[in-house]
Amino acid sequence: MQNSLKVERARLKMTQADLAEKVGVSRQTINAIELGKYGPSTVLALRLSGVFGKAVNELFSLEDDDLN
Amino acid sequence: MKTRYLFASRWKKVGWMIFIPAAVIGLFTVLTDWEPALLDVEVYGPFITDYSGEGSGKGYLDNNLLNEICGLLLIIGGLLVAFSKEQQEDEFIQKIRLEALVWATYGNYIILVLGFIFVYDFGFFWVMLFNMFTVLWLFIFKFHWDLRLLKKSLSYAE
Repeated sequence: MQNSLKVERARLKMTQADLAEKVGVSRQTINAIELGKYGPSTVLALRLSGVFGKAVNELFSLEDDDLN
Repeated sequence: MKTRYLFASRWKKVGWMIFIPAAVIGLFTVLTDWEPALLDVEVYGPFITDYSGEGSGKGYLDNNLLNEICGLLLIIGGLLVAFSKEQQEDEFIQKIRLEALVWATYGNYIILVLGFIFVYDFGFFWVMLFNMFTVLWLFIFKFHWDLRLLKKSLSYAE
């Protein structure tokens, strides 16, 4: 799964720690999501969507591997 | 994050303070047969059997309490260390926790299967003795190892 968290975070000039605090997770979790090592739950994806003011499918998109 | 079945994070320190001394003293007493006379007492046992499995039912018997104390403290301390929340227990930590628990369960039964195949007679008693605790030990090792790797490997990008 691809995501645009890093870009959106940069747009709002937020650090990983800032974003982590806003959505109530550790900064390691934000880092793991940005690196594609962890796919967030629906609740966390919706929280991230709320922070950036973008729909979940604008923040996250499936890759070919996810479709098989 | 709301979690079920986990202790508050403050109990983790208490767990380590119980677990480490109990593990050291427990291993020492198992390896050296050290049993301080101070802990020789008469205890009540509701299910008493001898080595042949013949039961004499309930009654009183002489026993040294050190191994019972170490066993109980190992279990209590181990459970507190293993299942106290991290400072920030979120869904990613929960994923690592679950994977470590699965890994530890496999490890535990691999040890037991190898014991079944290769260890016989009284030697198997030692396998069972250690196997009572290996699932907790393996989980604690794997979970903390993975957390350590996570903190190391994920570069902190601003």
